[in-house]
Amino acid sequence: MGRIQLHDIRKSFGAVDVLKGIDLTINEGELVVFVGPSGCGKSTLLRMIAGLDKPSSGRIEIDGVDVTPRSAADRGLAMVFQSYALYPHMTVRANMAFGLQNTNMPKPEIDARISEAARMLEIEPLLDRRPGQLSGGQRQRVAIGRAIVRRPTAFLLDEPLSNLDAELRVSMRAELSALHDRLGATMIHVTHDQVEAMTMADRIVVLRAGKVEQVDTPLNLFNRPANLFVAGFIGAPGMNLWAGQAKDGAVQLDSGARLPLPSGVTVPEGSVTLGIRPQHLRPMAGGPVRAEVRLIEALGPESVVHGDMGAGGTLLAVLAGQPDLARGTVIELGYDPQMAHVFGADGQRLA
Amino acid sequence: MSRALAFLTRRKGGDAWDWTDVFTFLWLGSAVFIMFGPALWLVLSSFKSPAQLAEFPPTLLPYEAQTVVVEGFDRPLPLFSVTDEAGTRTLAEVRRVGTVAQMVDPENPGEVQRVNIANRTPVREVGFSWGNYLDPFLRFDFLNYTKNSIFVTGVATLITLLTNSMAAFALSKYEFRGRGFVVVLIIATLMIPLSVILVPLYSIVSGVGLINSLWGVILPTVATPTGVFLLRQYMLTIPDELLEAARMDHASEWQIYWRIVLPLTAPALAVLAIFSVVWRWNDFLWPLIVLSRQEVYTLQVGLNAYAGELNVQWHYLLAMTVITMIPVVLVFIFLQRFITAGIAGTGLK
Repeated sequence: MGRIQLHDIRKSFGAVDVLKGIDLTINEGELVVFVGPSGCGKSTLLRMIAGLDKPSSGRIEIDGVDVTPRSAADRGLAMVFQSYALYPHMTVRANMAFGLQNTNMPKPEIDARISEAARMLEIEPLLDRRPGQLSGGQRQRVAIGRAIVRRPTAFLLDEPLSNLDAELRVSMRAELSALHDRLGATMIHVTHDQVEAMTMADRIVVLRAGKVEQVDTPLNLFNRPANLFVAGFIGAPGMNLWAGQAKDGAVQLDSGARLPLPSGVTVPEGSVTLGIRPQHLRPMAGGPVRAEVRLIEALGPESVVHGDMGAGGTLLAVLAGQPDLARGTVIELGYDPQMAHVFGADGQRLA
Repeated sequence: MSRALAFLTRRKGGDAWDWTDVFTFLWLGSAVFIMFGPALWLVLSSFKSPAQLAEFPPTLLPYEAQTVVVEGFDRPLPLFSVTDEAGTRTLAEVRRVGTVAQMVDPENPGEVQRVNIANRTPVREVGFSWGNYLDPFLRFDFLNYTKNSIFVTGVATLITLLTNSMAAFALSKYEFRGRGFVVVLIIATLMIPLSVILVPLYSIVSGVGLINSLWGVILPTVATPTGVFLLRQYMLTIPDELLEAARMDHASEWQIYWRIVLPLTAPALAVLAIFSVVWRWNDFLWPLIVLSRQEVYTLQVGLNAYAGELNVQWHYLLAMTVITMIPVVLVFIFLQRFITAGIAGTGLK
């Protein structure tokens, strides 16, 4: 139970195409994260799956059944909203019971489910309070509890952590992952925070401008981004992307630097973009990457170096420890060519 | 007492009274006098007897003539203070002929004295004519009028809240073609005064046979554009996510309205309830037209009955005016903060 399939989902608001044909399969028990910049259509897609919005065209299947014409309530899904959407005039208990009462569930069963969910989420002492008397994290738990008691085929979470402070977000992130393991239910989690996506997801769906850019496991996204957008979006700080001309197993940059390409792949001659993660650069005397240091962000265990490579090229490097560098000095860096990513003129990955 | 005094002698600061302090207190004092003076005079006058109301110059406090029971006379005799050549004494009047009154000393009822009425003044002390209040209820139909008024106010307010909130829910939470037009249309009806639609409205009410029925007073008034607009503006502030959450929780549209939206609209509903109670309680023109039989009169129409063509029974009129004022005054005293808070919350001026 809990396999969701999307077939060519499209959505237009007037003349604006928000979703441009999305095909996706979410397997049973999977935690899938939709990630993308603001306005990429990830929340719209989630609302479409929930049944709160109707797609302009396309088909949504849950466990092989076409649910596109069904209303939100009849899809057997539960949603946790960004604002939690707890009913402010009801106690926590009433909030959790509301959906069950509406399906005419017998009262003992409702009570049993609520106490089970409350125990799981450790909100038992809060059951008789109102949402207004709870902290952000507690409200978050209640919102999740309201979803759990429904025993849905899948959980839909719309940026559930974005209203929490940074510290709470980290702990709730871990709790949500643990909850997913325990329930074993399908979860779709929407976020714009790539750290959240990387840490929680079984698979990540990267969306941009209404299209799926790549669907893969977090590490595969990091190690083998399918295109320039994913390469720049996943990973912090962002990947160095340098445009140049490929020739003889190296890339000639405008600044004159020649950077070696990974061996064992054939890259046709012409314009390419070379991508190297800041973490993969390391100091190397006489290395191919030369830059003038503009800014150093010393974080303690590592330092982020911003540099100027000339001819408009900029450099980001994460160096281990606290290297003794001053602004204005020129550093020379090298990298393992096997760690480099190469993208063609169309932005797609070559190697 | 000392706190009240401290309050009344507050200054804007500094050691001495500034002219602005004096001006402010005079200004506020005169405002209090202008606003509360008439109301206070009304209340005091409502306790006066008809004779005292006709008296000139008028007195502020209600007085009652003192009477005494004298041996040999059936009814109590009014007491007068008499001052003439024989000195000052208190006598009771037996009868009056022209400018001369026949009076007796209550201590010595056998001897009748003749006194010129110019030489005497009635003995009176502050007293309240409770009859002004009791008679309309005991001897006239005011109890019935009050019941009718309470029924009209209560039922009309309930129906107003229900229908207006349903309209407001649809106009604030459902997207449909022409929604903006409907809202504008409803608000536009605010510009049409009752007097304009009086005649057609009367034909309709008469056509459905509601003349001389309290329902004829209630039904035409329950749909108020002000109420719909006020509630709609408030409901717009309820996040749509709550409704979507309820929809995912298997709630029907009626349940969303009844169990989610309506409880959350409580502050605005309270404001509308207060308004509606005041409006319906004070309604005069429409009930006057619809109700022509005594049994179905409301208080306001009943009051009008005391103002006859030739003779106005001021003592009853004043007393019953006080009675009809009480609910409205209570509403404003105790619910004032809801009104201001609620109106501020809806962004309505």
